Amino acid sequence: MTQQPTQTPRFTFRTFILLLLPILLLAGVIALFLSTGGGLNLDSAAPVEGLDVERYNLTQNVIELHVRNTGPEEINVAQVVVNEAIMPFTITPNTAIPRLGRAVIQINYPWSYGEAYGVTIFTSNAIAFGVDIPVAFETPQPDSATFWGFTLIGLYVGVIPIFLGIFWFPALRQLGRRTMTFLMAATAGLLIFLGLDTLAEALEFAGEVPSAFQGIGLIGIGAVATFLLLDAISKQQTNASADETQRRLSIAFMIAVGIGFHNLGEGLAIGAAYNVGEIALGTFLVVGFIIQNITEGLGIIAPVLRDRPSIKNLAVMGLIGGAPAILGAWIGGYTPSPFLAVLFLAIGAGAIFEVIYEIAKLIQKDTTREPMPMTVFSGVLAGMLLLWVTGLLIK
Amino acid sequence: MNNKFSRRDFLKIGGLAVLGTASATAVAQNSQPGHNNSHVSPALQQHDDGHEGDLPNTVGEVDHEKNGFNPDDILTDFDYGKTSTLPSGQTLREYEIIALNKNVEVVPGIEYPAWTYNGRIPGPTIRATEGDRIRIHFSNGSNHPHSMHFHGFHAGMMDGVPGSGPGGMVQPGESFVYEFDAEPFGLHLYHCHVFPLARHIAKGLYGTFIVDPKQGRPPVDREMVMVMSGFDVDFDDANDFYAVNAIPFHYQNHPIQIKVGEKIRVYLVNILEFDLINSFHLHANFFQYYPTGTSLTPAEFTDTIIQGQAQRGILEFTYKYPGMYMFHAHVTEFAELGWNGMFEVTE
Repeated sequence: MTQQPTQTPRFTFRTFILLLLPILLLAGVIALFLSTGGGLNLDSAAPVEGLDVERYNLTQNVIELHVRNTGPEEINVAQVVVNEAIMPFTITPNTAIPRLGRAVIQINYPWSYGEAYGVTIFTSNAIAFGVDIPVAFETPQPDSATFWGFTLIGLYVGVIPIFLGIFWFPALRQLGRRTMTFLMAATAGLLIFLGLDTLAEALEFAGEVPSAFQGIGLIGIGAVATFLLLDAISKQQTNASADETQRRLSIAFMIAVGIGFHNLGEGLAIGAAYNVGEIALGTFLVVGFIIQNITEGLGIIAPVLRDRPSIKNLAVMGLIGGAPAILGAWIGGYTPSPFLAVLFLAIGAGAIFEVIYEIAKLIQKDTTREPMPMTVFSGVLAGMLLLWVTGLLIK
Repeated sequence: MNNKFSRRDFLKIGGLAVLGTASATAVAQNSQPGHNNSHVSPALQQHDDGHEGDLPNTVGEVDHEKNGFNPDDILTDFDYGKTSTLPSGQTLREYEIIALNKNVEVVPGIEYPAWTYNGRIPGPTIRATEGDRIRIHFSNGSNHPHSMHFHGFHAGMMDGVPGSGPGGMVQPGESFVYEFDAEPFGLHLYHCHVFPLARHIAKGLYGTFIVDPKQGRPPVDREMVMVMSGFDVDFDDANDFYAVNAIPFHYQNHPIQIKVGEKIRVYLVNILEFDLINSFHLHANFFQYYPTGTSLTPAEFTDTIIQGQAQRGILEFTYKYPGMYMFHAHVTEFAELGWNGMFEVTE
């Protein structure tokens, strides 16, 4: 940048005052509004309250509810009813919960394994908030047993399918250039499908986020920021090295990161589902879902098929793509939080869409050398159909 | 699980199957008997965990002083009115009753915007002898029209029902004098009869009306009034709390003191809205039951009776042994939502 002293804006005291002026005026307007109501009648007939039961924790003879005040004002918890019985309870830190504050309600209740419970919390304004416990069972505590269980889930959901996909590497290396482009296009198709799926899940979780935390806005922030950040990193690398091989490798890594975030989201969902007892047995479903997720491994290696990435690099990529499922299962299982789920899924969506953009650029390079519009079309469609059809088979 | 079946559901199920099997095998040695959290078919599991929770109860105590009434007093405060004798020799009983809006703390911590007679729920227990002249100076100090509709014999003008004349719907700030002879003898009730009726009753406008037979009932040691009702605090036309004499669990937390051998007479009235029936069950004892109190001969010797809305009856019993004895609605859901009490019987 060129420096021209005469044009350099100087930060003077006057500038400071001018900057401050609107803020001072704003303070005045707020003060006026608070003291007079600004001519509006803002008293509502009934108090507006919000109380979210963020999670429940069942231990022997104890039901513990973690609640958050999501309303505009402080609320007071007055009584608790469990399955049509008023129950004594203790609440920490206080019966009065400030806006966005949290509290833990503990009820000594002899719940029975496998039965359903409904808990109603009455605030002092006689507003009832309910939570359903569809299937009561001891909430998994962070001990070695459940820890290992969640780890196994992550392995099956994330790590194993991805490595299985990567094992195609030696075979796919033998393919011709056109087929490799087709595979790249198929990867883009897979990622588009996964990206939409991730976004849909983020939107679904956003509905569970307390309204004050603006779930939809959170998706925007997570997705857009990740997209632009990865874009910036990729541009920096392009500037740093013009080496095509290096560039394709970094794209493969970025695909791994995107898929990793996606799998983190899946892990969260699985862990959380386990916590609320949404359990069903189905070995064929596990098999089906390994089949479906094997394509994620394929997607990771597609950009580097024509290169010679080291075994170490392939292994690291596999871990980046798959291992977050384990982490997700831990987080989802022990401290399920719709807020975190939305954030991670949004980051995943942003990452996936950025990677699609990178792959598109790679494909464009290939097609400028040798036009093959039908290869791209059929590749993308094949990738999307692959996930759609495997989904159909399983469901 | 709902009918929407997304990829995530599929993943959940797949993953859970894995977790189920994984931790069941990996951790079997770790789980205590009756405490296994790793099986996957919970509905089929039978567990015999000890039942060691708290008993149903509210947390805290309502502010009776602020409420302006205490169920302990309502139990026995029979109101015989301002008594005088008419030129004909007939006894005249005069009452001042005012309808008031009042916030009542129905359970600790929850104030309910109640409608009351004389600021209390249930309203005053009006008691007279068959043939007495009753004169009620009713005024409406609330911002809704109200009335007093008595069960018993009276002229249509005095029925307190919209369309029956000026007493059918007494407007805010206005008043009306209900006048009739107390008959037939028995246990009756009164309540507001203004539309919407269920709300007007459920919000607290009801009370007991006892007409003693001319010769009186056989003497007993203690008499008490119990009005069974409920509160729908969130206005969804379903009761959230149940009680006798308005405050849930009051007599559970403050047992009614009686002596071994004392003859007890309970005037039991059901004015519960929204639920079809109510009931009364006495523990470790039986009672003589006089439906509507219109006969001096008991109809039944039992320990449980059912009452539909506005049904009432007189119970008479004596405890043989000292101890703590429950009485409650045998509609047990009501009992655990507040309609539960205790007699503490001492030597």
